[in-house]
Amino acid sequence: MSKYGTLETEIKEQKYLIAALAEMGYHPEVHLDGAPLIGYEGHERPERAHVIVRRRELDSASNDIGFAKAADGRYAAQLSEYDQAIGFDQKWLNRIRQLYKEKQTIAAAKSKGYVFKGREVVKTEQGERIQLRFAVR
Amino acid sequence: MSQKTITITIDESGNSSIDLAGFADNSCSRVFEDFRGGDRVKTERMKNSFYNAKQTEDQVRTGR
Repeated sequence: MSKYGTLETEIKEQKYLIAALAEMGYHPEVHLDGAPLIGYEGHERPERAHVIVRRRELDSASNDIGFAKAADGRYAAQLSEYDQAIGFDQKWLNRIRQLYKEKQTIAAAKSKGYVFKGREVVKTEQGERIQLRFAVR
Repeated sequence: MSQKTITITIDESGNSSIDLAGFADNSCSRVFEDFRGGDRVKTERMKNSFYNAKQTEDQVRTGR
């Protein structure tokens, strides 16, 4: 049989979220019980998150960006309106999702014995499309 | 026998597609699940090659 399917990426595995952020140059903090985000004035904000990129790694007037784990296991991004307006927007989040999915796919394939055959990046008007090829051993 | 290949395409929004080729048995459902990674399935379908292979198999079976 041959099959084709489309999937919606759900960020559920913390290690690949951290790896994706690291590849983008950040040094995210991990808080098992969650920690408050810090605003641009240095004060705690009401939002809490389990994975946090501190504002010193963002823009000088940025707030922290957090990823909070919900009851269903998915991580949801917490971004201020200001940070979304200066480029930490949906496109930025999509890049994180893309890197997350790539890392998760390669790790899962390796652990299940598939043979990695190659990676191709296609530049498009919207950004990059990543193609990964595997074979059955 | 053609090689069994899996192509994962991750689009600009971070969503993906899985394309399985060369599978002449029922293992493709297991392989699909291996690569799903807990993501939500939006669409899923058998490809033409599956129906072509099945038609050939049926023709051989009936002697047509």
